[in-house]
Parts: sequence; structure tokens; C-alpha cells
Amino acid sequence: MEITISALKKYYGDKKILDIDGLSIEKGKITGLIGPNGSGKTTLLRIISGLDMDYAGTIKYDGSLLDEGIYKKMTLVTQKPYFFKRKVYENIEHPLKVRKVNKAVRKKKVEEIMYRFEIQDLRNKKGHLLSGGESQKVSLARALIFEPELLLLDEPTSNIDPVSIKIMEREILNFNRETKGTVLIVTHNIEQAERLCHKIIPLDGGKVVE
Amino acid sequence: MVIFIDYIAQGFKEAINLLISFDKEIYEIIFLSLFVSTSATIIASLIFIPLGIHLGIKDFRGKRVLSRILYTLMSTPSVVVGLLVAILLSRRGPFGYLDLMYTPKAMIIAQTLLVSPLILGLTYSLSKNRGKEIQKIGITLGASKLDIIILVTRELKIDLIVNIVTAFSRAISEVGAVMIVGGNIKNKTRVITTAISMMNSMGEYPMAIALGLVLLIISFGINSLIYSYSGED
Repeated sequence: MEITISALKKYYGDKKILDIDGLSIEKGKITGLIGPNGSGKTTLLRIISGLDMDYAGTIKYDGSLLDEGIYKKMTLVTQKPYFFKRKVYENIEHPLKVRKVNKAVRKKKVEEIMYRFEIQDLRNKKGHLLSGGESQKVSLARALIFEPELLLLDEPTSNIDPVSIKIMEREILNFNRETKGTVLIVTHNIEQAERLCHKIIPLDGGKVVE
Repeated sequence: MVIFIDYIAQGFKEAINLLISFDKEIYEIIFLSLFVSTSATIIASLIFIPLGIHLGIKDFRGKRVLSRILYTLMSTPSVVVGLLVAILLSRRGPFGYLDLMYTPKAMIIAQTLLVSPLILGLTYSLSKNRGKEIQKIGITLGASKLDIIILVTRELKIDLIVNIVTAFSRAISEVGAVMIVGGNIKNKTRVITTAISMMNSMGEYPMAIALGLVLLIISFGINSLIYSYSGED
């Protein structure tokens, strides 16, 4: 899966937020987007994930324009994830439910991913009552449960403890290695980008810095 | 003043007697009121909650204008709705051939029209403010458009129930629309509010107070249910 972006422009009012002539996100690799605040990193992720459709230019996914079928193959983990007012178990299970995965398989996968993220003790806690660190781990577990082809991460480890960061980075690398899934990660942490990414793309003022 | 208080107290006493003696007329009136208002609220909710959610989370041109129209319609006087339905259902009206005027069905139609803008407006406003976040997570987790409406309904269910109860309260407490299209016919279309209005004009305060008490009890019961339910959540 490759994402190719051409002549992408995004405005908020009169202000140009993104102006990317051409950019490719390589299949099966982890690509980091770095840059100062306001450089358009989050906006780019929102556009690719389908949360923001108000832009000019083209984005292709394996040669096809983005549509509902393609959006189902990807997911976005945000800095402040939203959880349903249900148990953590049900929150993690949700992406499998909407994909009509049978109950036995769902149970097996949820148990497995909770074990990997070391969050079994959160199983019965309500999603909207999670602390910052807990919510980041649960959010990534929920994103990885259905093995997306493209994983979009918007500063997924900001403001969490070092142990949790280690677990999350390990799982991002495992996901990429085991499923060959593509990862596009926005981070302010250059060291983290170097630890995780095969390629780093700097953005500034909405443009790719050469 | 003392005579006045005695008079009211006597009214309450007689009202309690009427209720505990299971007076047939009073209970027919109560059941018809509940049937008409509940039916109207359910019909309006089934149609306008999904529509309200859809409009609330969708971005489109003219959304601000729609908001204003909806909020205006939410305060439509019940007599205006009654008049409109009466014109439509009267013998010379476009639906006169259905012969629905002065029947409980006409009252349900009128109350459905009365509470629909309320349910639509409240759901729209709720979804516009809080549904977007749920829609976003739905999209990023691969939910279809229908999945998203179901998801928003589930997540906002407590608020939606409060909206439904608000609509039910408006329906059961209104007098204008049911009076016009129902006609307050004994044993046929008489409901709590039209009966209270009539009995007040006839000076039959005990019966009026009894029905007023029932309205208060219904309101208290529903509110208690909501609080216990939302507390559990």
C-alpha cells in the first residue's frame, strides 16, 4: 500500500495550512512526520484518514482515490482519544464488531492484545474514565486489533510514562514487522522518530522541507 | 383566606378518594392521555432522532439557517398545530375522507406534529455539539454511515432519553391541540388537560385537582426513572 499525494492544498479561512506538491508514503514502512507546531502534520493525518474532506489536490491509495472502502483499511490514533462509555474490553472489540468478525475470534484477539499491552487489569474499567497513559495504550490496542493496512499516529506517546512509551513503541514495531502494515507517525520527539522510523519527512509551514 | 384553604384542602381530599376508589371515568381519562402522548412521542422519536443525528453530524450549506428554523418550530404554540391538523382533517380538508377528526388518532397526529420539532431540534443540537467526536472515532475505526448513527445513539442515549421525556412532557401537558382536534368528548377523546380545563370552568374542583395530581405523579415518576437510570450509567 502506497499513498501518493499530489498538489495538496488546505486552507483555514485565508490561511494556507498545507501546500504539498508531491509526497509518497512507502508501503510497509514506518514514516515519521516531524516539524514545529502549526506545520500541518496533524492536518495531513486528518485529511488522509477522511476526517477532513475539505481540501484541494489528490490523494491516492495504491493508485485509487480515497473512498469509504479504503478508509476501512486504515485508522487514526489521536493525542486525546475518544472512548465509548463502555468497558475497555468493548472499546477494543469495537473495530472487529463493525467488521462482523465472529465472537470467538473477537474474544481471542482482544485477550491477546490486552496481554501484549499489559492492560488486562483495565478490562472492566469504563473507557471514558481512563487516565492519560492508560487511554493512549488502549487507543493503540484498539487501532491495532483489526490489523489495519495503514496506521496513522498523531503523537501517540505524548505525556505518558517511559514504561508505557516503551510498550507502545514495541507494539508499533511489532505491528510493522509482523503484518507489514504501513505506519505514518507524527511526533515532536526526534529521538523517537529515529528509533521507530525508516524514513523521516520534515514539514514546515505546510510544506515538505527538502 | 381560611375558607379558601379549606376549599382547596377539601378538593385534595376528594381527589385522593376518587383516585383510590378507582373511579372509572378518571382512569379512562388517564389511560387515554398516556396512550395518546406516548404514541405521539414514540412515533416522533423513531423518525426524528435518526434524522436529528444525521443533520447534526453532517456539514452542509445552510446549517445555520436550519438551526434557526428548528429552534423557531420548537416553540410552535399547540393551538396553531391543532388548528393546522383540524384544517387538514376537517370534512373539507385534504384528508377529510379519512374521517379522523374528533378521534384519538387525530390527537396522536396533532401531538406527533407538536413534539416532532422539539425532538428533532434537541437531537440536532445535541449531535451538533457532541456527536462530531463520536463520528470522528467511528470513521477512524471503520464504521459505516449507519454504524455511526447507531454509535451516536448509543453514546448519547441518556441525553436522548431526557429529550424524549421533555417531548413527552410537552405532549401530555398541552391542551390546545387535543382540544381542537379531539373535541374533549366524554369517554372518547377526553384527556387529562382538556378535562381539567372543562372541570375548572364548571367549578368541579375535586375532579380537576385529582387529574392535576395525576399529572404531577406522572411527571415525578418519569423524572425519578431518568435519574435512577442516568445514575447507573
